[in-house]
Amino acid sequence: MFDILLQQIANGLSVGMGYALVALGLTLIFGVLHVINFSHGETFMIGGLLTLIATTTLGLPYLVALPLAGLGGAVLGLAINWISVRPLLPRRDGAADVLLATFAVSILIHQAVIMLWGPTPARIDGVPGAFEIGPVVLTGQRLFVLAAGLALLVALEWMLRRTRFGVELRAVAQSQFAARVVGINVDRVNGVTFGIAAVVAALGGALLSPVILYSASMGQVVIIKAFVVVVIGGMGSITGAVACGLLVGLLEAVLGLFAGEGIATAIIYSLLLAMLLFRPQGLTGKRAR
Amino acid sequence: MRSILRAALLAAACTFAVSAAHAQDPVRIGVINPTKSLVGKQGQQGAVVAAEMINADGGILGGRKIELVSYDTNFLPNEGVAATQRLINQDKIRFITGEISSTVALAVLQLAQANGALFMAAVPKHPAVTSGYDRVFRLNSTTAMDAKDFDAFLVEKIKPTKVAVIAENSDFGRLTIAGLKKLFGDKIVAAETYEMTQNDFNTIVTKVKGSGADVVCLAGSNMEQYGNILRVAAELKLTAKRCVMPGILNSEGVRIAGPAADGAFSADIYVTSLDNPLNKRFVEAYKAKYNELPEKIEVLGFESVWIVAKAMDKAKDATDPGKVAKTIHDNSWETPRGTVTFEKNGQAVAGPLINLEVVQGKLVPAKQ
Repeated sequence: MFDILLQQIANGLSVGMGYALVALGLTLIFGVLHVINFSHGETFMIGGLLTLIATTTLGLPYLVALPLAGLGGAVLGLAINWISVRPLLPRRDGAADVLLATFAVSILIHQAVIMLWGPTPARIDGVPGAFEIGPVVLTGQRLFVLAAGLALLVALEWMLRRTRFGVELRAVAQSQFAARVVGINVDRVNGVTFGIAAVVAALGGALLSPVILYSASMGQVVIIKAFVVVVIGGMGSITGAVACGLLVGLLEAVLGLFAGEGIATAIIYSLLLAMLLFRPQGLTGKRAR
Repeated sequence: MRSILRAALLAAACTFAVSAAHAQDPVRIGVINPTKSLVGKQGQQGAVVAAEMINADGGILGGRKIELVSYDTNFLPNEGVAATQRLINQDKIRFITGEISSTVALAVLQLAQANGALFMAAVPKHPAVTSGYDRVFRLNSTTAMDAKDFDAFLVEKIKPTKVAVIAENSDFGRLTIAGLKKLFGDKIVAAETYEMTQNDFNTIVTKVKGSGADVVCLAGSNMEQYGNILRVAAELKLTAKRCVMPGILNSEGVRIAGPAADGAFSADIYVTSLDNPLNKRFVEAYKAKYNELPEKIEVLGFESVWIVAKAMDKAKDATDPGKVAKTIHDNSWETPRGTVTFEKNGQAVAGPLINLEVVQGKLVPAKQ
C-alpha cells in the first residue's frame, strides 16, 4: 500500500505540474490586465499541435519542436491580444467584453483546427526512458515536465523581480493609471504580458501532449482545471498557481486512491466553492503586484 | 391493319423509350452520418464504395445506377431529424441508411416510422434502435451480443484468477462493469471508471497495478483514452494481460498506443483480412479510393447501402419501403463479413465474433 501511495504522490505531482503550467499564463494575464482569457486553453492545444506537426510531418526531434511551439504560441498570443483584447479593453465593460471575445476566439481556433487538421488524436513521442526510484516509476517525459515547469516558474519570478520589464509589469498590475502617469507604455506591457502567457501555454501544450496525447479538445478539458487552480491559488499569483496546481494534482491522486476518483473531484470542487466564499483572495492571499 | 401495326409499333417504341429513360434514371438512397467526425467519415466512405461497386457491376433493376444523397448529422439528434426531413420531404427518398450515434438513430427512427420509410442503421448500438418497427434494421452487433461470445472466451480460454476493469463513465462502461462483476464475482479485484474528458491515467493504472489483477479489461469507446491507458500501463510496467472489450479496438487506437498495444487482445464482428472474394474486392476498392484499409465502421457503412440496393434489385422495386423491408427479412445477404441475415426485430446476425490480438502494431485475428 505504501508503494502505491508513493507512486500516487509522484503521479499527482506530475499531473499537478500540468495544471500549473496552464494556470500560470491565465493568472499572469489576470494579474496584469484584470481580464479572463478564455482562449488560453486553445493556445495550449496549438502548442501540442505544433509539436505534433514538427515531430511527425517535419521529422524534427522533440527538443527542437519545443521552442518552435513556444514561438508559435507567442505569435498566436500577440494576434489574439491585437484582435480581441486591445480594442475592447478601454471600454466601460471592457473585462466582460474581453471574456466574451476570447471565448469566441477559442471556438474559432478549435473549429479551424478540426476543419484544417482533422479531428484525429495522435501520439507524440517525447523524452524517452523511464526511471525507477524504489517502487516508484516515472517516465522521462513526466520528469521533464516537472523540471521544465519549475524552470519556467523560476524564470518568470526572476523576470518579475529583477528586470525592468518586470517592474513595469508590476506597476501596470497595481494601477494602469499610475503606470501611465509615470510614462510606462501600458499597451506594450499588456501586449508583452499576453505574449508571455501564450508562450507558457504553448510550451505547456508541447510539454504535456506526449503525456496526455494530442487531441483537438485537449485545451477545453484543461482550461476548466486551470480555472480551479487559479481561483484556489489566488487570482494573479504566480507562486500560488504553481503551488496550487501541484496541490490539486496531489489531492486528486491521493484522494482517488482512498476514496475513488468521483469523490476526489467532488472534494476539489467543494474546495473551490469554499475558497470563493471564505477566502476569495486565494490561498496565497497576495497578488503579483 | 396498317394503322393498327403503326400504332403497335409506336406503342412499342414509346415503351422502349420510357423503359430506356427509366433505366438511366438513378435509384437514390439517403445516407446520414456525422461526417465531420472521424468515425462518421469512415462510415460515409464505406457507403460511397458500396454505391461505386454496385454501379461498376451495372447497377440494379436492369441497369439503373445508385445515387447517394448524403447529409451530415453532426452527432446531434436535431440535425439528424433535419437531415431525415430533407431526405423525405425535399428529396422524396424513403430509404435511409448509415449513422453512427444511437441518440441520433433513435430520433431519426421516429420520423422514419411516421413516414413509412426504411431505415438501415449502420453503427448505433443502443438496444432500443431495433424495437417495434418492421422497417428498421441494425447492422452492428449489440453490447449484449458481443458479451455472449466474449464472456465464454474470457472464462474458457483466458482463465483469469483476478480481474480488474477500467471503464469510461458512460452507459457502456457501467454496463460492462456490471456484466463482468456478474461473470467473475469475487475475482473482480478492481473496477475503476474515468471521465470521458480525462486524459491522464497514471492514478487509475497505479491502482489497478496495486490490485494484483492478472487480466485488465478496458471498456472505453474513445481510442485516445484506451490508447493512452495502454501506453501508461506499459510505462508503469503493468504485467497483467490487457483485454479491450469487443467492438472497440481499431487500428487507429493501436497506432495511438504504439508499441504499448502489443499483446492486447479483443474481438470484433469484422477484421480487414477476412478471406472471402467479396471482402477482398471491397478492401481493394476501398484502398484504391481512400488509400487506407477499411475496418468495421467502413464495412457497416458499406453494408447499409449494399444490402438496401441488393434488396431493391431482388424485390424489383425501388419505391416501396415495405416491399423492400420484407425482402430484406426474407433473404440472406452476402457482404464482406460473410452471410448476414436479420432477426424479426431487424437485428443483423452474422457468425460469431472474431478474436483479435495486436502483434507488432497490427490488429490481426488471434491464433488460438
